[in-house]
Amino acid sequence: MLSFFSAIFLGWSLGANDASNIFGTAVASRMIKFWTAAMLASIFVLLGAILEGQAGIRTLQGLTHLNIEQAVACSLSAAATVTIMTLFGLPVSTSQAVVGAIIGIGFLNRQINLAGLEKVVLCWIGTPVGGGIISIIVYKVLATFYNRITINLVQTDILLRSALLAAGSYGAYALGANNVANVTAVFVDAGQLDVFTATLLGGLSIAFGILTLSRGVMQTVGKRLVKLDAFSALVVILAEAITVHLYTLIGVPVSTSQAVVGAVLGIGIIRGIRSVKGRTLLNIILAWSLTPAVASFIAIAIDFVIHLQYVPGV
Amino acid sequence: MLSFFFKKQHMVETLIMDYLEDLRKTQEFFSGALKVCLKESSENDFDFMAEQTHKFESKADDSREEIKNLMYSKALLPESRGDIMGLLEAVDVIPGIFQLLLNMIKTERIQIPDFIAPDIKELLDLSLASCDLMIRQIETLFKRTGGVRTLVATIDLNESHCDHIEQRIITNLFDSDLDPFQKLILKELIVTMGDISDQADRVSKRANIISMKRTV
Repeated sequence: MLSFFSAIFLGWSLGANDASNIFGTAVASRMIKFWTAAMLASIFVLLGAILEGQAGIRTLQGLTHLNIEQAVACSLSAAATVTIMTLFGLPVSTSQAVVGAIIGIGFLNRQINLAGLEKVVLCWIGTPVGGGIISIIVYKVLATFYNRITINLVQTDILLRSALLAAGSYGAYALGANNVANVTAVFVDAGQLDVFTATLLGGLSIAFGILTLSRGVMQTVGKRLVKLDAFSALVVILAEAITVHLYTLIGVPVSTSQAVVGAVLGIGIIRGIRSVKGRTLLNIILAWSLTPAVASFIAIAIDFVIHLQYVPGV
Repeated sequence: MLSFFFKKQHMVETLIMDYLEDLRKTQEFFSGALKVCLKESSENDFDFMAEQTHKFESKADDSREEIKNLMYSKALLPESRGDIMGLLEAVDVIPGIFQLLLNMIKTERIQIPDFIAPDIKELLDLSLASCDLMIRQIETLFKRTGGVRTLVATIDLNESHCDHIEQRIITNLFDSDLDPFQKLILKELIVTMGDISDQADRVSKRANIISMKRTV
């Protein structure tokens, strides 16, 4: 039971951090109340995890084989990487941290599924690009309908607010479905949990993170990104949700932060504005390349420490 | 169904309509008071009309404050809140001008000379017509989406026309044999009266921008 605490801790920090990618903009600019956002996000994260979280778990399970000690090492190293990168102010991806840790242990075991790894890395490259392309398509399609509907100022407000809540709920569903694998897949691989219990435990811990610690992160992340109008915020949330959900169907856990940044860049392209600061972009690229390496290194280090033996007299 | 979930939003809508109704009443009494002046009617009628103008101006102020409080209790999206408050604050300048004009007439005991009375009546009618159009434009903004932009051109045209009338009255005034002190007092009255159409034009353009911002 104690070994699952590392998973719960990882899920909790994932929930606290990644809920801001869904509702951050809307909550920080007071389009939606925090508690409405947090309650919806928790419910839909759990639903997504239980209903569609299995595919991602199978992908991560297939990367290498782990025993219980190695599963804990992976989980702890991912959590430590997320914490370190967050302390340095870098936009960290939990998915990359977990995969990096699994690869580190796989390297020690001399057993890495390269085909599976190739699929995962390709999806990492595809996440921001996909987010950008999807946001352009979503913008065009929604704008066509939005400009044609004949409703007044207050009705427009009601429509946008309802759409933000719906899109955010879908985003939370996609987050739960996609990222639950990061939290508990290693324990399924180690034979400690069955798939359903893993999705339930993962979903609950992410939801717990959203309810307990996401408020501050939502405020910070929402304000760090460019100030978006309600329509653009809706497009970003929807594009991020669709992107993450598509990768869920493929069965690869990806970063919601990178999907959001891709979507915001897409908005910038379509509106002809510079939507993301150069420094933010640099940080994202830095985090993108550093996270798997750091997680891999920490996982190897934890595994080394676990296997240290005291030999009397030496 | 939606009305149940968005009570605050619908309350904002209702309060704005009430505010516009109060504005219409203020305008009605102001117009009545000035007509009393132009016809040199009894002093009592003017006082009553001025009092009613003040009463409805205060009522409109209260409605605006209520709208503001409701909106800042998160009834609307922040962007819409800013737009609506900015619009109402701009509209609120107009009843202020009405009251200022009536106070000037009352405290400075202004008598409008016959030779400028028809021009002043024309300026007043056109300015109040602009206000009517402006109120219609705001109602359109809150009742349906179409038609906001078509009214901008008419209000803009009225404003230019009012400027010409204002200039004509001032020229006639200074060409006359009136006492220079009286000329200056009347000039101030006419310039303030000209502010009505200027402000209606400003509000109309602001409403148009709000309407345009709804298009992505």
